[in-house]
Amino acid sequence: MNVVVIGLSHHSSPVELRERFAFAESKIPDALKSLRESGLADEAVILSTCNRVEIYAVITREPAAAFAGLKKFLETAQAFEEPHRAEFYSFAEPESLHHLFKVACGLDSMVLGETEILGQLKDAYALAQRHGHTGARLNRAFQRAFHTAKHIRTHTNIQRGSISVASAAVELAEKIFSSLSDRDVLVLGAGEMAEKTARALLSRGARSFVIAGRSFERAQILANEFGGRAVPFDNWTVEFEKIDIAISSTSAPHHILDRARLEPLMKVRQQRPLLLIDIAVPRDIDPAVNFLENVYLYNIDDLQAIANDYLKQRKDEIARCEAIINEKVKPLLEAKSIQPHAGMDEHGLKPAPAES
Amino acid sequence: MVWFTDRHFFLLAVLVYGLSTLYSVFLWRKGFRKDDHVNYFLLLAAFMLHTIAMFRRGFSINHCPVNNLFEATMFIAWGAVVAYLVIGLLPRLRFLGAFAAPVLFAIGVFALMPELDPPHGPKPQFTGALTSLHAATILLAYGAFGLAAAAAGMFLTEQHDLKFHKLRAVLSLLPPIQRLEVITSRLALMGFVLFTIGLAAGHYLPRSSDADYWSDPKVVWSIFMWIVYLALLMSRWLSAQSSRRFAYGIVAAFVFLLLTFWGTNLLSPLHHP
Repeated sequence: MNVVVIGLSHHSSPVELRERFAFAESKIPDALKSLRESGLADEAVILSTCNRVEIYAVITREPAAAFAGLKKFLETAQAFEEPHRAEFYSFAEPESLHHLFKVACGLDSMVLGETEILGQLKDAYALAQRHGHTGARLNRAFQRAFHTAKHIRTHTNIQRGSISVASAAVELAEKIFSSLSDRDVLVLGAGEMAEKTARALLSRGARSFVIAGRSFERAQILANEFGGRAVPFDNWTVEFEKIDIAISSTSAPHHILDRARLEPLMKVRQQRPLLLIDIAVPRDIDPAVNFLENVYLYNIDDLQAIANDYLKQRKDEIARCEAIINEKVKPLLEAKSIQPHAGMDEHGLKPAPAES
Repeated sequence: MVWFTDRHFFLLAVLVYGLSTLYSVFLWRKGFRKDDHVNYFLLLAAFMLHTIAMFRRGFSINHCPVNNLFEATMFIAWGAVVAYLVIGLLPRLRFLGAFAAPVLFAIGVFALMPELDPPHGPKPQFTGALTSLHAATILLAYGAFGLAAAAAGMFLTEQHDLKFHKLRAVLSLLPPIQRLEVITSRLALMGFVLFTIGLAAGHYLPRSSDADYWSDPKVVWSIFMWIVYLALLMSRWLSAQSSRRFAYGIVAAFVFLLLTFWGTNLLSPLHHP
């Protein structure tokens, strides 16, 4: 018996192809049933997310023959009739188990180290298990993969830090303010990046939003979405007395905030800390304001540098994670012969449910 | 183990403070990215040795061990390390140890100078419950001021990193600067309250009729230090003084206190009747 995997992911194929092979969750139990009834697999799990479609299967025949059958199954199940495609990848043991563990740990994800995939993998496994399509081999492999993912999350830095500009801005805010829950945010301009940053701050509990855009209607739409309020663009300096964080992303060709303009505003604010995030290009805020007491100014390059450093830190952790995975996969490979439990067949599997 | 005296235990404690200082340099160079368990346990080990030293000294003289400059200095460091061990229970504030360890080490090395610990005569230089209260509260106040200075140092480091866009500011596990500012203010306030109680207790201590209380160098110095800390705290609360200036003030006040404490003590007829 051999655990194999076949599929395609964001590494090997564009979204146009992946979406054609994606399984709706409701169709997966039937697909698993027909896969097992076809004799191609003794146990199987189908993982279908926006970034990957994979079949994990336990086979008894030669992997090369099984891969051809599994690929044919995928094409037939999704009515895909185009000629041979090279986007599919397939692994037999031990690579298949390494692949499963890497997927569980987020090492194969588009955003390195992300945790969403672990939840999706758990759901896919639970679905297959609930319908009786997993047995001793896959149960052991998946349980161990989940355990390893937890171990790696706890013992390495693979999931630490923000690797997007928006979340780097939030981390920065959390280094200045004790809590974001009593912080007020001003958004100047209604660009996409400013919106993302504001959304990230909101998700971390920022108290209120004021949006000042040259287009008042657009500002109002955003304000409604965030539960904040819109103010006319000409009045934004009035808000400086109350706010703690300002995100600026206007399309102004010159600085809209400089030292001479901010200095009196800081006196009105009684020198409370002020985080200025300038993600506009050309920049909206004169860099000289950073010399003012209690003002912290960061531009898009500064935030990108933080995100890049976190990404580098995560990449540096890959070798450590892979060493842990190697250790955790070893016992699985050593214990291939498993005694079936009572009520299960020789593969440690419940018989496939009868067709209704 | 009669040959192993309280001073030996204190020497061991100072050596562990030294180790903690070395480890703090390592943490600093690594950008405070890992949780500071090691330093916390080093300071805990040093605290235990330090406490044994204090107990042995206390039992040997049957008094609170604050009767000469060695004991007083030992008490200051003990107060600071106790406060740190409590604050350090919160993981994000544990790095305060990296800033406190060098101060503790420096105080410890100074305290070990033999001249500061002359042999006690038939009875200690200072006795009585009010004397113990006076000495203990004042020395605990110095400990609180020391820890406030360490927190202020931590604030200044992190604020500098944030201002100058050092990646370490975001990647480190240090607490937010606003929280450090609050901790600095509270420790300084705690020290100020203890200092006030200690000075008030000192005023009511019995003294010989020929002693000139108000011109005693130690009294003048203490009142000066009391005014300095009062001014720092008042300017912080009443005039929205910048956090950076407040932090520099707290560090400078403690450095001045450290440099002048022993001198004024030796010059004081009240403390050397």
